[in-house]
Amino acid sequence: MVNQWKLKEIVLMSILGVVFAVVYLLFFFIGQGIRNFLTPFGLAPFGYEIIFGIWFIVSIIAAYIIRKPGVAFTSEVIAAAVQVLLGSPAGPALIITGIIQGAGAELVFAATKYKNYRLFTLMLAGMSAAFFSFLWHLYSSGNIALAPAIILTTFIVRLISGALLAGVLGKWISEQLAKTGVLRGYALGKELQKKREQEAA
Amino acid sequence: MISSINPSIKAFAILVPGILLSLTFDMFTPLIYLLFVLVVTFGFSDVSFKRWMKIFAPFLLVALGFAWMTMLYTSDSFSGGRVLFEIWMFEVTTGAVMVGISLALRSLCFVALSLLFVLTTDSTKFMLSLMQQCKLPPKITYGVLAGYRFLPTFQNELQILRQAHRIRGVGRERGIRDKLNQFRRYSVPLLANGIRKSERVAIAMESKGFKGDVNRTHYHKMTVRKKDWIFLSVMIGSLFLVGFLSYCLGYLNIFGKTF
Repeated sequence: MVNQWKLKEIVLMSILGVVFAVVYLLFFFIGQGIRNFLTPFGLAPFGYEIIFGIWFIVSIIAAYIIRKPGVAFTSEVIAAAVQVLLGSPAGPALIITGIIQGAGAELVFAATKYKNYRLFTLMLAGMSAAFFSFLWHLYSSGNIALAPAIILTTFIVRLISGALLAGVLGKWISEQLAKTGVLRGYALGKELQKKREQEAA
Repeated sequence: MISSINPSIKAFAILVPGILLSLTFDMFTPLIYLLFVLVVTFGFSDVSFKRWMKIFAPFLLVALGFAWMTMLYTSDSFSGGRVLFEIWMFEVTTGAVMVGISLALRSLCFVALSLLFVLTTDSTKFMLSLMQQCKLPPKITYGVLAGYRFLPTFQNELQILRQAHRIRGVGRERGIRDKLNQFRRYSVPLLANGIRKSERVAIAMESKGFKGDVNRTHYHKMTVRKKDWIFLSVMIGSLFLVGFLSYCLGYLNIFGKTF
């Protein structure tokens, strides 16, 4: 797997991991804010679930740009490791969360044999990451102690969030980046270049 | 001293109790383990209390919110005991309060464990140790280190972007739509610059002969000594000890089952 990656792709993954580790940490506090806002309405458990998709976004972006096996998984683990280095409240256990979320997204890309990167696949990858992370949090955050109705509704909200915030937003950000031309050396940039040439011809 | 423990071993020593703690749903176990972690942090490392508290304090509030939320939404299998009080449509029972406080203490344990690691570990040494002890490919470890180096420059770059916008008369935005627009105006150039830099660094590394060979020599040799193993076994062993203690006292609760 590692031998298939070029060094510049690894450094790109790690740069994305670093940037989104900071974003992830920021969203931890945004989630707290949303939760405080929702508490008077009795909707506190949804505070984090609404924005949960953001925590899978680096998998989607990296996989969409680089398009090689293992990228979705590794980028998420790097982002988790960087968060630990920066000092995350979840502690080193966050690396396990990263491993599980990354594996969830990777699974979908592997199922398409790393060939299909349409919007639907990306959304599915986000939802798969949401699914696995939800299972993990049932255990690690003790969510299993919550009432079944709450567990079910938060699960649905997290799935939707994964599809939209990771899948759709991830695709959008990658395409905005590709437009600037900095991705010319990577799979996504090359694809856009090809498209442009075909249109010109 | 904790800062001289091998980083990979230290990570494991903190990871394993972190995972095992998630099994418990009583108040006693996480509380005692939290106290133990505090003793280790302040007794065996040179972490200053002020610095530690600055990071830890906000999470006291977070934990409080977490406890409160769990209390209100506890499932039936965990919320035994008599009703303590009612708020609006929620009935809070003694069982629910116990689970809420337990989960809050658990999350504080995670924070304390994480600070014990973060405040005593040099990130470069951590990466070197991951490569030498955990056999992570050098391509990845040096790639991550190269990316990690750019972190401080992002702040500087953000400032430059802001000034560039200002000088061109782009002010702060108010509405949600404008805010979204602003998000794009900052995030895309920041990321694009990061990507450019990462490409340059990768080319520089390769042009200087970095091939990512696994059989390479190391200037900084990371070793595992006896005291690393002692630290690992103390951190994990004491969790079992605490668990055993709370079992003897009749507190231990694993997934809603008391023993």
